[in-house]
Amino acid sequence: MLEAPALVLVKIMLFATLRSKYKTRELTVACDGTLPNLIENASKILGPEFVDDVYDKKQTKVRDDMIIMVNGRNIKDLKGEITLKDNDVIAIFPPLAGG
Amino acid sequence: MPRGYMGKILRVNLTTNSLKVESTSEEIARKYLGGKGYAVYLLYKYLKEYEKAGISPKDINALGPENVLIFATGPGTGIPGFPSNGRYHVMALKSPLTGSIGSANSGGEFGPFLKFSGFDIIAVEGASETPVYLAVVNGEAELRDASNLWGKNVFDTCRILRDKVGGKNTSVACIGPAGENMAYMACIINDEHRAAGRTGLGAVMGSKKLKAIVVSGEEKVPVANPERFSEVSRRCLDALKNNSVTGVGLPTYGTAILINIINTAGGLPYKNWQTGVNPDAEKISGETLAEAYLTSRRACWGCPIGCGRVTSVKSGPFHVLASEGPEYESIWALGSSTAVKDLDAVVKANHFCDELGLDPISMGSTIAAAMELNERGYIPQEDLQGLDLRFGNAAALVEAVWRTAYKVGFGKYLALGSKKLCEIYGHPELSMSVKGLEMPAYDPRAIKGIGLNYATANRGGCHVTGYTVSPEVLGIPEKIDPLKAEGKAKWVKVFQDFTCVVNSTVNCLFTTFALGAKDYAELLSAVTGWSLTEGEILKIGERIYNLERVIINKFGFDGKDDALPRRLLEEPMPEGPAKGQVIELKKMKEEYYKLRGWVNGVPTKDKLAELEIEL
Repeated sequence: MLEAPALVLVKIMLFATLRSKYKTRELTVACDGTLPNLIENASKILGPEFVDDVYDKKQTKVRDDMIIMVNGRNIKDLKGEITLKDNDVIAIFPPLAGG
Repeated sequence: MPRGYMGKILRVNLTTNSLKVESTSEEIARKYLGGKGYAVYLLYKYLKEYEKAGISPKDINALGPENVLIFATGPGTGIPGFPSNGRYHVMALKSPLTGSIGSANSGGEFGPFLKFSGFDIIAVEGASETPVYLAVVNGEAELRDASNLWGKNVFDTCRILRDKVGGKNTSVACIGPAGENMAYMACIINDEHRAAGRTGLGAVMGSKKLKAIVVSGEEKVPVANPERFSEVSRRCLDALKNNSVTGVGLPTYGTAILINIINTAGGLPYKNWQTGVNPDAEKISGETLAEAYLTSRRACWGCPIGCGRVTSVKSGPFHVLASEGPEYESIWALGSSTAVKDLDAVVKANHFCDELGLDPISMGSTIAAAMELNERGYIPQEDLQGLDLRFGNAAALVEAVWRTAYKVGFGKYLALGSKKLCEIYGHPELSMSVKGLEMPAYDPRAIKGIGLNYATANRGGCHVTGYTVSPEVLGIPEKIDPLKAEGKAKWVKVFQDFTCVVNSTVNCLFTTFALGAKDYAELLSAVTGWSLTEGEILKIGERIYNLERVIINKFGFDGKDDALPRRLLEEPMPEGPAKGQVIELKKMKEEYYKLRGWVNGVPTKDKLAELEIEL
């Protein structure tokens, strides 16, 4: 008999214009430990447009202009496949800057 | 004279009460552009003249009449359509806070209106015996009595002089009580809320008893090739509009939006840099500022971005009717380094910094150092005279600001800046500064490239000199790992050189989120009539950076001063994504000096020859 994959609970935190868009600061989402699954499950709560906020139009890779951090590390600085664990925190920022 | 320049420099001698007009030199403009570049060249000339007269650079007193204060615009300033060009650059031969070169940049309207009044640059030397202000109106300059302005705050000074002079394009740059009292971190403020903030230039102005400069005029800045300029400018303005940072992020949130992202990256200094993670960051974030304090936004002259925040604190003990800011840096220094989580108090403290004329970065960081000194028991209570400086004490934060401006009670110690304050109380290692200038809001243990920049910036601990936070955290123009030390030197160098170009053009650094050196070469070529390439533009920037370095070498600064506080080199980050990290400055500096062509922080003769710098 096939076992269902173990689910992990991950916190997603939204910042700046994403907060006003989704009227949400943070949400806890269950997923299979992969980023695509996390975003897909989050979109069931936030709405389908959330996927387009994170992934490019073809939904093959994360949008270059978005800043996505796993426990404070930008995914662009992390090597290899990202495996999410229980209580990981994903922070998502739209393009922003300052001085 | 090439286009873009008004062709005139105003030389003011406050000791002899004399004014002289000189021509802007085309030869110097070609090599140094304008703004910061031209000012550095002039300062070096002054230094050589002083040396010839037997005055050693090390003996120059930053608060003495021999110090020189220069207000400079560049060929881009004041031309409608030149992106975000409502800025000017101010320099002093020596900073009272650091003993290194004084340098600061400001927005608003003063820069363009200085050009409309008929001048590219104003250079002030000497000192007046009584308070004066300089009026530069429609090409005519005059020193006038300021005894009835002395003692007034920045807001009243700006309003009184603007009304007195009248006219369409009138702007006032002035000092408040902090500058008059020569607090070492006093700044120059124009248009009520825009600051040439760092390195204590307000104290220099105060030492000269120069209360204000008011400029007014209606001259137009000439452009060599208006059609070509129009084409390039339209393309650049479109790029700014379509870029998500300059077109959406900055206009919507201002710079305060950085609080949460820098904290998430584990690099938001908290409690005088004891850690890079602030548990109350949300309470002082850009999102909270926008929600509860923002009333509208404001743009500098000629700027399509409009990152300025107009704010108010509606009620309570920290009520503020209307203010501008606080910016990311001000919130961090006054709120995170001090652990004050009451944003009402931070807005009020920042408002006082504008009203009284103080640099909020140095002010906040000095207060935070005092808080740590006090909590560790290093300050006798009788020195504090009741000022309860402990981390998180919002009322003490606000009180400390006005005490510093007036140098009353413990304020007379705070007014010296954190380096001298910590030396006095026997713990110099608690001053989080480089070359005496308090470092801004990014912990180098979590963001290593900015640490190398802090160490090597000529004016001291400064982020805008070479803002590598852009690639390291924001991913612009590309993402590099903030925790890696290798490979950062080339980024620091190119950012430092390009920033000199921006500060010499003079326009706003924020355009560089969307525009590059090639855009600047095309814009400046169309304005001046010169054929500037991207390579030549960057070489001009490198030339300016190196000549500025030659000046600070003469003041005694070299490789030993390209340093960072011991905390960042030896105390591992205690928590967050950068937990366990220190900054490996030694090897980063080696890489940097090699790229720069310097030995122990001093440019070699070959490098100076390559850059055509004549000593």
